[in-house]
Amino acid sequence: MGNTTESKRQLAWVFDLNKCTGCQTCSVACRVLWNDGEQGADHQWWMTVNTKPGAGTPKDWEKMGGGYDAQGNPQLGHLPSPEEFGGGWDYNYDEVLRGGGGRSVHLKKTAGSQSWGMNWDEDEGGGEFPNAYFFYLPRLCNHCSEPSCVEACPSGALFKREEDGLVLRDETQCGGSQDCARACPYKKVYFNEARKVSQHCIGCFPRLEQGVAPACVRQCPGRAAFVGFLDDEASYVHKLVKKWEVALPLHPEMGTKPNVYYVPPLSPAPLREDGSYDEGGNRIPPSYLEDLFGNRVHGAMDVLRTELDAKRRGRDSELMDLLILYRWEDCLGHLSRDPAEIVWE
Amino acid sequence: MTAGARSDRRSDGEWADRYRNRWTWDKVTFGSHSVDCYPGGCSWRVFSKDGKVIREEQSAISTPVEAGIPDMNPMGCQKGACWSHCHYSPDRVTKPLKRVGERGEGKFEEVSWDEALSAIGEAMIDAIEDQGAESIISLLTPEFGAIPARIFSDILGTPSTDGNAEFQDFSPGWHVTWGLFNPTATMDDWFLADLTLIWHANPVYTNIHWYHYLAEARYNGGEVVTIAPDYSPSATHADYHQPIRIGTDAALALAMCKVIIDAGIYKKQFVQEQTDLPLLVRKDNDRFLRGNEVMEGDREDQFFWWDTLAGTLAPAPRHTLATTGVDPALEGSFQATLKDGSTVEVEPVFARLRRHLEQYTPERAGEICEIHPDNIRKLARKVATRKTKIFIGWNSGKYYHGDLMERAMALLLGLTGNWGKKGTGTRSWAVMGMDGNVFMSRKEGPGQEAAQKHIAGLIAMRRLVASTDPTMTLEMIQNRVAEQAVELGGMGNTMPPAFLWYHQCGYKERWDDPENNDPSMKRSFSEYLKEATDKGWWDESYAKAYETVEPRVLFEAGGNILRRQRGGQKMLLKHLWPKLKMIVSVDYRLSTTGLFSDYVLPAAQHYEKLGNSMPSIHHLNWVLCDRAVEPLDQSLPDWEIGVRLLEKIEAAARKRGMKDYVDRKGVTRSLENLADRATQGGVLRDEEKRMDEYLRDNAVYGVLPKGSNLETLREKGQVRFTNWGMVGHGISQASTIRPDEVHNPLRWHTEDKVPYDTLVRRAQYYIDHEWFLEAEEALPTHKEPPNHGGANRRFMMTSGHNRWSIHSMNLTNNIIQNTHRGEPFVFLNDKDAAELGIENGEQVKMVSNAGEMLISAKLTPSCRPGQVIVYNGFEPYMHENWYSQADIEPGHIKHLGLVGNYGQLKYRPLSWQPIPADRAVRVDVEKVG
Repeated sequence: MGNTTESKRQLAWVFDLNKCTGCQTCSVACRVLWNDGEQGADHQWWMTVNTKPGAGTPKDWEKMGGGYDAQGNPQLGHLPSPEEFGGGWDYNYDEVLRGGGGRSVHLKKTAGSQSWGMNWDEDEGGGEFPNAYFFYLPRLCNHCSEPSCVEACPSGALFKREEDGLVLRDETQCGGSQDCARACPYKKVYFNEARKVSQHCIGCFPRLEQGVAPACVRQCPGRAAFVGFLDDEASYVHKLVKKWEVALPLHPEMGTKPNVYYVPPLSPAPLREDGSYDEGGNRIPPSYLEDLFGNRVHGAMDVLRTELDAKRRGRDSELMDLLILYRWEDCLGHLSRDPAEIVWE
Repeated sequence: MTAGARSDRRSDGEWADRYRNRWTWDKVTFGSHSVDCYPGGCSWRVFSKDGKVIREEQSAISTPVEAGIPDMNPMGCQKGACWSHCHYSPDRVTKPLKRVGERGEGKFEEVSWDEALSAIGEAMIDAIEDQGAESIISLLTPEFGAIPARIFSDILGTPSTDGNAEFQDFSPGWHVTWGLFNPTATMDDWFLADLTLIWHANPVYTNIHWYHYLAEARYNGGEVVTIAPDYSPSATHADYHQPIRIGTDAALALAMCKVIIDAGIYKKQFVQEQTDLPLLVRKDNDRFLRGNEVMEGDREDQFFWWDTLAGTLAPAPRHTLATTGVDPALEGSFQATLKDGSTVEVEPVFARLRRHLEQYTPERAGEICEIHPDNIRKLARKVATRKTKIFIGWNSGKYYHGDLMERAMALLLGLTGNWGKKGTGTRSWAVMGMDGNVFMSRKEGPGQEAAQKHIAGLIAMRRLVASTDPTMTLEMIQNRVAEQAVELGGMGNTMPPAFLWYHQCGYKERWDDPENNDPSMKRSFSEYLKEATDKGWWDESYAKAYETVEPRVLFEAGGNILRRQRGGQKMLLKHLWPKLKMIVSVDYRLSTTGLFSDYVLPAAQHYEKLGNSMPSIHHLNWVLCDRAVEPLDQSLPDWEIGVRLLEKIEAAARKRGMKDYVDRKGVTRSLENLADRATQGGVLRDEEKRMDEYLRDNAVYGVLPKGSNLETLREKGQVRFTNWGMVGHGISQASTIRPDEVHNPLRWHTEDKVPYDTLVRRAQYYIDHEWFLEAEEALPTHKEPPNHGGANRRFMMTSGHNRWSIHSMNLTNNIIQNTHRGEPFVFLNDKDAAELGIENGEQVKMVSNAGEMLISAKLTPSCRPGQVIVYNGFEPYMHENWYSQADIEPGHIKHLGLVGNYGQLKYRPLSWQPIPADRAVRVDVEKVG
């Protein structure tokens, strides 16, 4: 695959879906840090959490194409519109609060998508009562090892940074073609209409440069997020992805070798028709998990269940202890610096 | 800029510096949100630049408490992560506003602080002259930061409505059982449970900063089970989810109790020692056998058991739970000789319980709850054999028969010995360590010597209270003092608001409507209320005052009563509002209540003033909210508003030559030197001095480590409490704070055998009050929710707190609005919706016998058929016509809450009282148009 520079090291993220509560603290932290108040960024949520099964954001992104074709050429899929990303809502605050109209006016959306939001189908999920099922899937740019966006960029603005493998865009070079957004199979590239440039998660590079973890990881109250170099054997990321192989990439079949990994979700035992428990059954269909995480998901689930069972039998489990995360700073890898220590000159 | 290792020159450009510059600041302070967020307690770092807050990030400074248990970092949720946005959002109010249009119209003019506060001060003096001081109503909204704005109620002694009825976060079943409703473990204790039952709670939404302990307990080998009508978001990470028919939880708990008793796997010694189950009940009248029946001169509150070792009737000791040398019978029937020589048949409560549980076989309960009986059997055996914790919120207490559900759960825990040791128990809310703040204006002068004298005085008073009975425990003394404070008009004159609502807010008619009532009631609600007040059960609590006193001033600081009021805004706007001459909203934002107020006073936001986060026992930390930036525009810290208002009240009284007034408790209350009294002669007027005094005094009171002051807190951000203090629910934890251990409550009872503060001095499952006997609720039992909302309606509305907001306060934050649907919605089962022809996202009308509202439908198979869930908090003005969820809730009260003359069933602030129900309201959902 063409002109992607090899990075020396690769930073990776892991999200433990058995701890993620869909609270959106990562999303909000990211938005406040990078987008809030920025012109042209109303619909931009570089970090999002969606309920799966569900259409997510942009709506039905998994059907929009991108990635690579069989010959390894970047494929330009559908370009998601702001309407499909959803949200970007502003409201008639002044009319309601200061307009003097009383009950005749109520708080309504005055701008943004008419039909969708970044988390529109929150907690809807799939299945049928009482065996409904859902879980939360946090998503950011995958900072892929073989990023189709980089390959598709006609102006050479996108690059993969040498020192950490972040996929970044030199915005001064971006011509606004949006081929990157078409080529991204995860549909995590947004277009800034005001500045006429594409934008996506920058991996919090200004923080990384100061030894501080990305906001989505450091601010995760669920302690579900991990960051670190994949080749750093001391990092939890390495241990979960490489050693225990319980953290898997999303949609590996899209071929871009993503660097955000997920510990797949366990789920409560389903109920039989008569209301008794089907102890060995699966509430979330394994085929659905395979659709998301590939066929390695079954092995990962087996490892999780085996180690959980070991703990329940009073035996030790290194894996369970990693996921418990006794000391929070261990999820930050080498990026454990407290940002409050920094004094800017 | 000190860049780290950057080798790739392509990220050196101007484009990259644009991002780098966005993440810079010139000031970092510790911050938090002094709001009614429970458990709260998150410490943040607030980053500001050029005098403006730019963002916040969790400080993550908690250190591990107990070896082998995960730390608490990084505490803080999405609301906190964008609080800075609210500082500068369009609903922020920064100038005093005076209403110029009709109430609710939203027409205001900006006025000076002087003009606004003078008008309010005059209105208060008018009210005292017209109707008496009881006509000035403060609403006890528990936003900590806002409390100082209504310091006048403390200084003047005007009544505050008791928050536990306002916001219903009461656990009546815990209170009935233990004499306290708030035994609460620290969150890290959750990690130690072998079995966690998430029951009547949805911590994935409501405990975002703490939920990890549940996930981690599971990874540690524990099992997590959710019990809820719907496949709740918290079920997603459970091992088992047990769907249950709405409102039948007591039947499930009681069936588990039956399984455990029948199998003989209950903890006999725990039951004998900690509970009333061995106490003897007379078969002739269903009442406990009492001392004054057995022997002339003996106490009415002496109870008995049958000692099988001696084969005799024996008094159950009042001073200890220890059963040394006796083996109290749990079964059998015995003869007791009364003082007149006659004999009566008596039997232990346990024997009655065993018979009572006959109706709760797993099969019968399975039908009631729509649960497979085998699931009940299996779960019961797990509870009986594992360290079990019931993770519960304040959902059960909001059911009409929530008391019964909780009493049944407490029975399950009692039979299995599951409280008073790590990894067990249940949950409620509890705050503590506010001593320095509360005593500040009461001590004789500023400084720590005065604090030492004050505490010495309080200890002496407690000794006096204890001298009446040498067997009194710390808990009992604490509770008796609180009860006396109510009688004397202390504690800010807290009052149960039910009587105000009944007499002055139009609730009489609604509460008398048999459709809303429990069918077991033999009389109308009014007749029960009349009996309770006639017999003087609520004499200290203004039960009779509001028969005649018309409210004149309503003061809401930090709350939003028109969103919150169970029974709906219509009740208040129709019945209460016309009587009011002055309605005040103190807030940093315009709420629906603000729009219906006469004056809106702009409070400083939480990074613009000094405060502390909810001092919750869940985390045991005193957490600083520092002032990062100056209050925006003309907004003022609540404390400054409160003191300035006192000055105006004082001036208004002086103008009329009023020096004092006598309240309805007969207490003469001075109207002079009000501001001086609040500020120790002005010495503590400055916010910094006041906070420093609070912390230094707290150190004197032993609540915080020696040497604590504002400077040390500014360095540390938070500090762990060292002792309970007297203000709050510390002592009612009945455990000792240990510096290197998680906290689990009730250990004084289980380890030290200290008696409980209940009538029988044990965990009490049998309530032999005549009303309870009449209602057949002497023992925990299952009753169907009443038809409140109307009979023959298709749905039951359950609801609960949402994920996106603390009550209504974050729902107008534009960042948060964009993380959900950005408009009010109701969850509806997908098949129910299909039958009604309702599409996802369609506007629907929800109707009950209390009213109707418009809302958007959101469809999911996770919602139980027949259930609708409106996660609450949406501002009424977010709905078309401004009617919201509360407007379809009748706000009905269970009559047994009116009992006030029985052991632990007596009023004290934030405790036992009549509480409205809003769960399982019967509603219809209709297509619009």
